[in-house]
Amino acid sequence: MGSEIKLRRLDAYRWEIPQEGAMRTRGLVYCSEEMIQALRHDQSLQQVVNVATLPGIVGASLAMPDIHWGYGFPIGGVAAFDLNEGVVSPGGVGYDINCGVRLLRTELRRPDIAQRVQELVDVLFTHIPSGVGSRRRDLKLDVPTLHEVLRYGAAWAVKKGFGSADDLLHIEAGGAIPGADPKAVSDHALDRGKDQLGTLGSGNHFTEIGYVAEIYDEATARALGIFKDQVTIIIHTGSRGLGHQVCDDYIRKLMQATNKYGFKLPDRQLCCAPVGSPEGREYLGAMAAAANFAFANRQLLTHWVRETLQQVLGLGPRDLGLELVYDVAHNIAKIESHQVNGKTKKLCVHRKGATRAFPPHHPEVPAAYQETGQPVLIPGDMGRYSYLLVGTQRALEETFGSTCHGAGRILSRHQAIKAAKGRSIEKELAARGIIVRGAGRGTVAEEIPEAYKDVEQVVQVVHGAGISAKVAKLHPLGVIKG
Amino acid sequence: MTGTSKRHQSAGFRSLAHTADVGFKLWGETVADIFIQGAQSLYSLMTDRRRLRARQVQEVAVEAPDQEALLVEWLNYLLYLYDTQGFLARQIEIEEISPTRLHARLQGDTFDPRRHEVKTGVKAATYHQLAIRPTPEGWEGHVIFDL
Repeated sequence: MGSEIKLRRLDAYRWEIPQEGAMRTRGLVYCSEEMIQALRHDQSLQQVVNVATLPGIVGASLAMPDIHWGYGFPIGGVAAFDLNEGVVSPGGVGYDINCGVRLLRTELRRPDIAQRVQELVDVLFTHIPSGVGSRRRDLKLDVPTLHEVLRYGAAWAVKKGFGSADDLLHIEAGGAIPGADPKAVSDHALDRGKDQLGTLGSGNHFTEIGYVAEIYDEATARALGIFKDQVTIIIHTGSRGLGHQVCDDYIRKLMQATNKYGFKLPDRQLCCAPVGSPEGREYLGAMAAAANFAFANRQLLTHWVRETLQQVLGLGPRDLGLELVYDVAHNIAKIESHQVNGKTKKLCVHRKGATRAFPPHHPEVPAAYQETGQPVLIPGDMGRYSYLLVGTQRALEETFGSTCHGAGRILSRHQAIKAAKGRSIEKELAARGIIVRGAGRGTVAEEIPEAYKDVEQVVQVVHGAGISAKVAKLHPLGVIKG
Repeated sequence: MTGTSKRHQSAGFRSLAHTADVGFKLWGETVADIFIQGAQSLYSLMTDRRRLRARQVQEVAVEAPDQEALLVEWLNYLLYLYDTQGFLARQIEIEEISPTRLHARLQGDTFDPRRHEVKTGVKAATYHQLAIRPTPEGWEGHVIFDL
């Protein structure tokens, strides 16, 4: 298992897996001394090695400090591929295509809502369908409308009155990945998506009301519209059943392509096709479409969050000031330009459980953040805290502009349920001032704080390594869980 | 989490440790048992199967290039039925099975949050460490779900 893998410590935050055997490049793991020990017990490092064997990989097979054992690619993995010799792999994106996070800020301070958190959580819970197979009865989309969603993403939602054009300026890729091909999305996927737009889903997805507990970089925080004690909202969800079906459909197709192109792979879940092949292009078109569904999904949820806060607090939009700070994808493959050996090259960058972290003055960073760098949102577990960071030049140079995405599990779901047995997790969190409502009996127990690495340690590594910079820490007050 | 209460029962499933997701070991006397136990392990993640009633019938036919891929295809089709119709099977009969084709008759219920327990959502059955193999006692399988 993981223990046989050679690891060479480069500095306090970087570990190298030397290139050996079938590897085409080295592995580079961002991790602290304490965290690396735990990794030796599972297969996540082996998965970093497996990714390093894929054709046309450029630079190292990278792993962020929240790395954990996934299927195929590790979760927390980043890998870039040459557009001519390299591959695209649905397993390098994952089933929840464009699972991501958005952060909203308000004009409110913590005392303004102190007595209203329970009410806010309850009303949010009725407005946002959550949990296993959550669906909307008020929004069923026909196929032509779904195709528009898949093509235009968050812009479709804005056009329909869900949010403002200003929101689109604060979303990765403007809320629509170019090249989306709705025709590459199967009928089964469309069927699964038709009543799931505007739902949270299950698992680790959540909507959270919190506040800014600590600021590390006052000037950057101010530029991002963030101040101490400010009430914030985080939304974490993805492309729902539509995205899961797209991934499943294309894993099947790309397994055939893997044979056709004669790739020998250590794990079937790594199946892939050349980026420029018909199969590769078709997957990228379908993936972009599913990603756009996810952007639209988070945009719709934002609308209902705005309505809920206005209704419960009796405030107009201006007094509430509920504006989008940023929205990032953390399960995605993107065609991006990067410097490789002094030359600009277009690459297919896979981020599976990793967040884009572009520096100041990068052309893909919105105008509002040209001086600060792209905001990076790292949610922690429901009992602890989340972080706001910004991207850096070092990330662009070392990790294709990527950083971590969350806390990373340390207990399996089964172990977490065992650890939660006989306890009321809701009561324990309430005693710490956090109100939690979960749709599923299982999910609150599975998502107990001790099931995760302390996100603070994860963020410390990316900050220490210089691949993103801490701006603020957010504490939860009320959470709705899927 | 086990699918059988008695020891040495001829077919069943047991969850295996996997940090992010949930894996199951499946066993049975026949290949068909592996497919049935795979389905039951999936449903055990989603709800309390004992509260499901056999009120509706669904006929399912799936195809795949090989037997292991067929298991994933079958499980993901069950997820599709759940996502689009809320259908959860209580009883499963495999009417026909070959290494590349499966035909099954399912009897089950439409999910109703007032009657049924909401457990975890499952995104998909994955190909990671997927296995179906004969053993001296019959057959065993291994599948990991992405949650």
